[in-house]
Amino acid sequence: MQPNTTRLASILTDIHFWVPVAVLLGGLLLLRFIR
Amino acid sequence: MHPDSSTQSPPAVQDVSRSKKLQLLGILSGFAAGAWLGAAEAPTKLVAIGISPMVISLIMVVGVFLARWSLPALILGTSSVRADVRRAPHLVIWALLAGCLWAVANTLTIFAIRDIGLSIAFPLWNSNSLLGILWGFLFFNELRRAGGRRRAGVLGGALVMCLGATLLAIASSGHGPAAHSLHGVCAALGAGILWGAMYIPYRKAYLTGMNPLSFVTFFSFGELGMMTILSVSSLGLGPLWQELLSARSVIFWLMLGGFVWVIGDIFQQYAAKYAGISRGIPLSNSNQLWGLLWGILVFGELHGRNSSIYLEVIGGSLLMMLGVGAIALSSATGQEQTRWKEAAIRESNRYGVAADFVAARMDGRQLAGEVKPSRRVLDWLLVVAATSVFVIFAAMARVPQMSLHWAPAALLTAVLFLFLIVSGLALWRTTRFN
Repeated sequence: MQPNTTRLASILTDIHFWVPVAVLLGGLLLLRFIR
Repeated sequence: MHPDSSTQSPPAVQDVSRSKKLQLLGILSGFAAGAWLGAAEAPTKLVAIGISPMVISLIMVVGVFLARWSLPALILGTSSVRADVRRAPHLVIWALLAGCLWAVANTLTIFAIRDIGLSIAFPLWNSNSLLGILWGFLFFNELRRAGGRRRAGVLGGALVMCLGATLLAIASSGHGPAAHSLHGVCAALGAGILWGAMYIPYRKAYLTGMNPLSFVTFFSFGELGMMTILSVSSLGLGPLWQELLSARSVIFWLMLGGFVWVIGDIFQQYAAKYAGISRGIPLSNSNQLWGLLWGILVFGELHGRNSSIYLEVIGGSLLMMLGVGAIALSSATGQEQTRWKEAAIRESNRYGVAADFVAARMDGRQLAGEVKPSRRVLDWLLVVAATSVFVIFAAMARVPQMSLHWAPAALLTAVLFLFLIVSGLALWRTTRFN
């Protein structure tokens, strides 16, 4: 099993991670606009 | 599996048979998910009696939180959740992220329902299935080596769904004040994009062997945390508390909506696991039809509107269902599943998860020598605590002063339970919920 730091680095360098993060930020902005 | 087949059939034949069985299980789970997810949106109609959309969403998420902890504890026990996390701890972060996406999307849907109505908003946010197909193809090797006919079935189905959604968007333009219609359409489409992105963590989890019941348990922290932040930042702590107090007579119904949603979501998770997101998500988006049935038959939506609006809404919904059907009939073949396994190997290498564990879980089995999950005192305490909360709020509840048609509501509820029993038994017999 990987140590925690390696695991975190694996997540942060995974493009699959950043797509939902970007969409989440966009969603929060949209919510602010609609409210 | 039948005992004879394991002793007489060669391993390759068993693999093909098991694979087909899991595909069918994924498709059945998708349809069950559709029925339950569709029913869960009905309580959000309570927004019509003047409760803030934020408060409605927060109360639903509390119901979701209780269900996400009590149902897995009841079905498998929390020991299985702990075992999953030990094997793939990185998935906790993915589950939290997915929970945050869900909370924002759910809040947007409530604004959408308020502005353009349930029967029109539903198909718009169900465009998330198109994104599910895109992400499945780009990131997880879905539809690779699928063959022309199957790929055309999925992509053609997606195109037909787009046409249906467009027809429904046109129908929405003639409903209510123009500014609110625009906000409602933006909110519904935004929710679709958020939910579409949420399927990336879903698929990630199942390619790495996590049990859907474990995934949803951690997912709930993301959604409750995000929803609490949204509610407090939007309303302020004092006004939020006052709104909760004034809404106490309907809290039970909203929490019940959250509970029903979790049952649908668990079936959706199994659909994503066994049929992939490019097929499982469109199938579970048959909730659009169920939402339409609840909206029109139980809540009397569209009553008194002119016939062309009815034709647009019904025609758009039928087009979307036609697309869903085409996708359902284009299940993954052996060659495509080989590509799925390659994606799973990539994930297990990247995150250091044992390959034999991933392979066993993708096949809906336990690893050889793995301790069978069992329920303990803690699990029963969780179930009792969650049930008690529901009972307390049920005692405070009163039936909302709305025009409801109870006979169709009873019929739709009976159909829900039929799906629950048939799909639940099939999952238990084939995978023991692994």
